[in-house]
Amino acid sequence: MRRQEDHLILSSGRQHFTDKIKIMGIITVLWEKWVEFRRDFYKITVAAMISPLMYLIIFGLGIRTTSHGQPYIFFLVPGLVAMVTMTGSFSAIAQNMSVQRLYEKALDQVMVSPTPLWQFILGQVIGGSLRGLYAALVILVLTIPVRHGLIFNWLSFAVMILNGMVFATLALVLSFLAKTYSDAPRFNTYIIMPMSFLCNTFFSTEEMPDGFRQLIEIMPLSQASGMIRSISCGQTPDLTGIVILLAYLVILGGISVFFIYRKKNL
Amino acid sequence: MIEVRELTKKFGSFTAVDDLSFTIGTGEFFGLLGPNGAGKTTTISMLSTVLLPTSGKIFIDGSPLTRAASEQKRKLAVITQEYSMRQDMTMDEVMEYQGRLYYMPRKEIRSRSAELLEFAGLSEYHRRTVRHLSGGMKRKLMICRALLIRPEILLLDEPTAGMDALSRRQMWNLLKQVNDRNMTILLTTHYIEEAETLCDRVAMINRGKLQKLDTPQTLIDELGRFTVDTTGDLSLSSMHFASREDAIRYLETADTDAVLRNTTLEDVFIECAGRKIT
Repeated sequence: MRRQEDHLILSSGRQHFTDKIKIMGIITVLWEKWVEFRRDFYKITVAAMISPLMYLIIFGLGIRTTSHGQPYIFFLVPGLVAMVTMTGSFSAIAQNMSVQRLYEKALDQVMVSPTPLWQFILGQVIGGSLRGLYAALVILVLTIPVRHGLIFNWLSFAVMILNGMVFATLALVLSFLAKTYSDAPRFNTYIIMPMSFLCNTFFSTEEMPDGFRQLIEIMPLSQASGMIRSISCGQTPDLTGIVILLAYLVILGGISVFFIYRKKNL
Repeated sequence: MIEVRELTKKFGSFTAVDDLSFTIGTGEFFGLLGPNGAGKTTTISMLSTVLLPTSGKIFIDGSPLTRAASEQKRKLAVITQEYSMRQDMTMDEVMEYQGRLYYMPRKEIRSRSAELLEFAGLSEYHRRTVRHLSGGMKRKLMICRALLIRPEILLLDEPTAGMDALSRRQMWNLLKQVNDRNMTILLTTHYIEEAETLCDRVAMINRGKLQKLDTPQTLIDELGRFTVDTTGDLSLSSMHFASREDAIRYLETADTDAVLRNTTLEDVFIECAGRKIT
């Protein structure tokens, strides 16, 4: 440190805080997410493309089949869009929060700050959801040549955002539960990968055996896939799905807020 | 003012902090001393609300400190033992993130951040990501980050750990300067010289329990201002005396090599950490 007797630099006391903006904490987290997105833009974009592109090539273009009397790719694209909102949102938060909490200890900086912690949670959820939405937009752009006639409107985007929010919140809960840095990839293996394959992405849940079918159908991705697919075919979606996704969001959001305020050893 | 009242923290059956109570006055430089594993970092973690106490309470200026207490947390800044920062952010981004978390206007964040980085000799690296900084630079950045928000209370958890002697002296000068400007400082350290040089009062803890709390000089006086070190075949032992005459009398009767010196805070520390606790 340079020797400097600068009263202004070393002084203590009240700042000129700008907490007239009541949601400043949310904006701060979104700014942090933007910094991260801007820095890793190419990595994030390529990562969002690779898996869905493989599925599209293998199942949509390689193995040419039909589903419900239409080319299979018409079934697949809405499912993949729902899936990437899940994986994009989940990975944006789970990996990041686990590293911040367990490895970098950067979460400590947030915990000691006056930013209300519920705003931190909400900022993470919105930020994660936007990352999922970005991944979905990448897929929608990539599939323009093969998805003639599929409809994606404001309701589809609302479902994508809601689905992303659910999985960003799930990622928060799991990263607060993680005991080691290596737990984050495990959550991916145990939760996200099975959901990707089973929850109405690649095949309809209609043919599944009773009991198992109901279990799968209540999963958020099944609901999101079903609604986005219905909209894409010009049908009216079953809005029960919205209620189910909102229920997940409220429950998981409540748990994550409880953890950040009450968990003894964060 | 910080008031720690009957603070206890348990991890399963292990008690890291055991019924700890002390008060730190406004503008006081307070040291928390103890050997490794004494509970210093756990105490700081509870003061920064990262850990919640099993029982007991912390008050800042008379109001309870909780995770929801934004008004109390606004007064606090923490410099942790570890480099608790986003490793993939640049220095500028680390500072801006901190300023935003404390609701500072962007214009003020930028101007004050530039001043502080210049003051710390880091301004030419302001676009470098944290992971590409040396340990000393990261430590300086953490200090700049803490001072950015002009805290009223600064919590420091072994801030000079791993620093070379020169950097440590520079850090001491800086801490003295900020303390002179009425900033309350709580410092945990196991460098006894650091506490003796800087602190108005020190609390010695071991195994989570408060052993002694007073000014360094009073603690030394209580133990005895003069110490005679005797060297045996395999060990060094020390005897403490209130007066030089008593010490000299003992020295004359010693049948091994013996040296008379002034008692230091380190002797008090060793007495607390090594002898009284079983």
